[in-house]
Amino acid sequence: MTAAVTVRGAVKSYGANRVLDEVDFTAAAGEVTAIIGPSGSGKSTLLRAINHLEPLDSGFVAVHGELIGVRAHRGRLRELSERAILRQRSRIGFVFQNFNLFPHLSVLENVIEAPVVTRGVAKAEAVERARELLAKVGLADKETAYPRQLSGGQQQRVAIARALALRPRLLLFDEPTSALDPELVGDVLAVLRDLAASGTTMIVVTHEIGFARDVADRVVFLDAGRIVEQGPPDQVLLAPREDRTREFLGKLR
Amino acid sequence: MTSLSPPPTRPAEDLLGRLKSTKVVPLRHPWRWVAGAVALVLLAQAAHALITNDAFQWDAFGYWFFRPVVMDGLLLTLELTGLGAVFGLIGGVALALMRLSRNPVLRAVSWGYVWVFRSIPLIVLLLFLANVTALYSTLSLGIPFGPSFVEFRANDLLSFFVVAVLGLSLHEAAYAAEIVRAGIISVDQGQLEAASALGLPKTRQYRRIILPQATRAIIPNYANQLINLLKGTSVVYITSLLELFGVVQTQASTNSGQIIPLLMVGTVWYVILTSLLSVAQYYLERHFSRGALRTVPATPAQRFRARMRSLGVAR
Amino acid sequence: MPLSARIPAALAALTVTATLAACGSGDAPAATAVDANGNQVVTVAANTDFTTPVQLTVAKVDAIRAKLPKAVLDRGTLVIGGGAIPNGSPPLNFIGTDQKTLTGVESDLGRLVAAVLGLTPDVQNASWQNMFVRTKSGEFDVSFSNITVTEERKQQGFDFASYREDNLGFEVNKDSTWNFDGNYGSFAGKTVAVDTGTNQEKILVEWRTKLQAEGKTLEIRNFADRNATYLALASGRVDIYFAPNPSIAHHAKKTESTPHPSRSAGSFSGAGTTLQGLIAATTKKDSGLVQPVADALNHLIENGQYAKVLAAYGLSDEAVTRAEVNPPGLPINNS
Repeated sequence: MTAAVTVRGAVKSYGANRVLDEVDFTAAAGEVTAIIGPSGSGKSTLLRAINHLEPLDSGFVAVHGELIGVRAHRGRLRELSERAILRQRSRIGFVFQNFNLFPHLSVLENVIEAPVVTRGVAKAEAVERARELLAKVGLADKETAYPRQLSGGQQQRVAIARALALRPRLLLFDEPTSALDPELVGDVLAVLRDLAASGTTMIVVTHEIGFARDVADRVVFLDAGRIVEQGPPDQVLLAPREDRTREFLGKLR
Repeated sequence: MTSLSPPPTRPAEDLLGRLKSTKVVPLRHPWRWVAGAVALVLLAQAAHALITNDAFQWDAFGYWFFRPVVMDGLLLTLELTGLGAVFGLIGGVALALMRLSRNPVLRAVSWGYVWVFRSIPLIVLLLFLANVTALYSTLSLGIPFGPSFVEFRANDLLSFFVVAVLGLSLHEAAYAAEIVRAGIISVDQGQLEAASALGLPKTRQYRRIILPQATRAIIPNYANQLINLLKGTSVVYITSLLELFGVVQTQASTNSGQIIPLLMVGTVWYVILTSLLSVAQYYLERHFSRGALRTVPATPAQRFRARMRSLGVAR
Repeated sequence: MPLSARIPAALAALTVTATLAACGSGDAPAATAVDANGNQVVTVAANTDFTTPVQLTVAKVDAIRAKLPKAVLDRGTLVIGGGAIPNGSPPLNFIGTDQKTLTGVESDLGRLVAAVLGLTPDVQNASWQNMFVRTKSGEFDVSFSNITVTEERKQQGFDFASYREDNLGFEVNKDSTWNFDGNYGSFAGKTVAVDTGTNQEKILVEWRTKLQAEGKTLEIRNFADRNATYLALASGRVDIYFAPNPSIAHHAKKTESTPHPSRSAGSFSGAGTTLQGLIAATTKKDSGLVQPVADALNHLIENGQYAKVLAAYGLSDEAVTRAEVNPPGLPINNS
């Protein structure tokens, strides 16, 4: 088992507020990791630190052995150039809670934008790939629609297709179903299940405990910027060792 | 049993049964008709008062409306407005991006520029620029604070027209900067995050993702600003240029019996120009509303055709 | 490329478009011609609809010409400034019936002075403020624009050669019954419009002070420009307009057949209560031009051409007997 993502000594503060406090974390390639925890526990910050949307104060992130956002130089970590960081990000898919689709671009344009611009993929080829992906998320008939003409669930599925268009080696999901009406959650989770089954490395910040139990290979429970407990879902979710984990899970029921 | 006491709900059910397939008659609004009629009468009265009052001297109005000297002024107004709008917008975009950058020096410079040029009255700025020759007789091209390669006599370089365009653009850029900045910050922060998470290059993030969305918020405000500029060009008389309003004023001072008709000539031309701008604004807004509205509204021409079709007049 | 290099480049791009709109404020070719003897023939009072043109033949005077600065002699033109943008004031200084050339007694006098000096006149119109700056920067050799000699303007760096006095008058609507009876008492309870910064405004303020001492009122109104003043007069917002007499006579004539005719309701000496106000040709201080201009004006006075120009515009009452260099001006405002 090789490590897809390695986080070591991650510290991030906003003023006096320490959002991440010496977090060490590893996600294995081909596995699905679910990060759970109360709001404000730092789970989104941790996820965003992985593709350097949130630069760390100290500590580092490596994806498949490559430092993200920084390089080691004479015993220090120096931030990379904007351009280099953008190149690294284009290999990591990120799906937002609020989808963040580009509303002035059609569904198809949303999906082909990044491959054409950052990878120099020919437009025809990008369109072909985009159509495959849209079919895969069940939206083959929506390519000319604009995002606001779609339901939340459909928008999130487009966002997933957009992230997949770059053929990422790692997919990060930031509460992908939190902004959805309950009856739309299922469609999105179904897409996530398919992806998990195909062996994509995924890290998912989620409140869907059922999903975490069924799909995740590992569950990480984060509280107050520290990892309280991690392990297989059956262990963390059904037989937690820590009181705080138990307390959190109890509130969700 | 049934004959003794029929269930009280029975007739009501019949009624409901009959009504369920009946059409609903919308509420009548007689006062709307009355208000409409009153408005039309008042409008007709105003038009009548305008046309029949001999103070407007409509024959003199007709004489002046297409006079070559008025046309020259109109052309100058259009040129000044067009160039002022273009250079002002370019400057405004640059200033807005500077203001939003993470570089504190650029931010401060941009803030200072907007502060200064929103404070200086346009007329003073123009007077100053027009007479910059009295302050700097030569302008030079070269290394800042170092040797210069080429020198210009300020008077040769800064014709009054250039001075006017320069002054209007400098002034306009300060206002445009704020309008553009407002447009950019009205775009959800998540858009930039999404673009940068996809690894889109910085310039692409702005050109393809942020600016098109910001434009939607910018257009109505900039159209306002443009119409202000159109009429604001009248202060260029201070640089001794005569645009539409200047021409009207000058000719009125020579023909002092025709002040009102000449002012009306200027007014009607401004109304025409503003109307054209408003139409352009409508179609631009429609273009940039792509994706922002679930359905793009029909153009007036499309609505007219639809109405005609529904009346069976045309197909 | 340094920043300062880019700015002129952008300006150069602008200049190309500028030529499209270059605004013709030059002299009309017909106003000055040259006869067989090399004398200039100046047609004065041309290009208006209320005067009869008069042709005046003017020989150049070498003795005066010899006093001109070398730069002006080499250039061969006399740049004559006027401040009639956006509003002219007929019959003094205004755009003529060709709807583009600066016309009136002021620019015609300038053309005659140029003829005496043997220079080609180049009449330029400007805004009032700009005229002063351009005169001071030397862009205009001399400005003829109903400019009153004041001590303040002397301090600001101008030389003057006086050529006319201004007489003042009162304008009312034709149906008004008011007339000036020679006494400030007739203004009691009236609203009077007056141009700001003028001699007549000072006189009016004095009258108001006197009336107030008697417990009476006189309301003074200033408008942005003459057009606005005339509109206020026509609409009855002001009762009387106190202005240079020639302008009033002219405006009354112009409005004769319009819906709002006006009339003159008396005149008053521009001498006011203190000092005779003088109108003067204005040059940059110590430019060496004021003496030759004054000499040329005196030459025109002695040869009778001066009287003919004023007569052509109906301004004979404003004539002076001599042009003076830097005569005493209106004192710096002490009120």
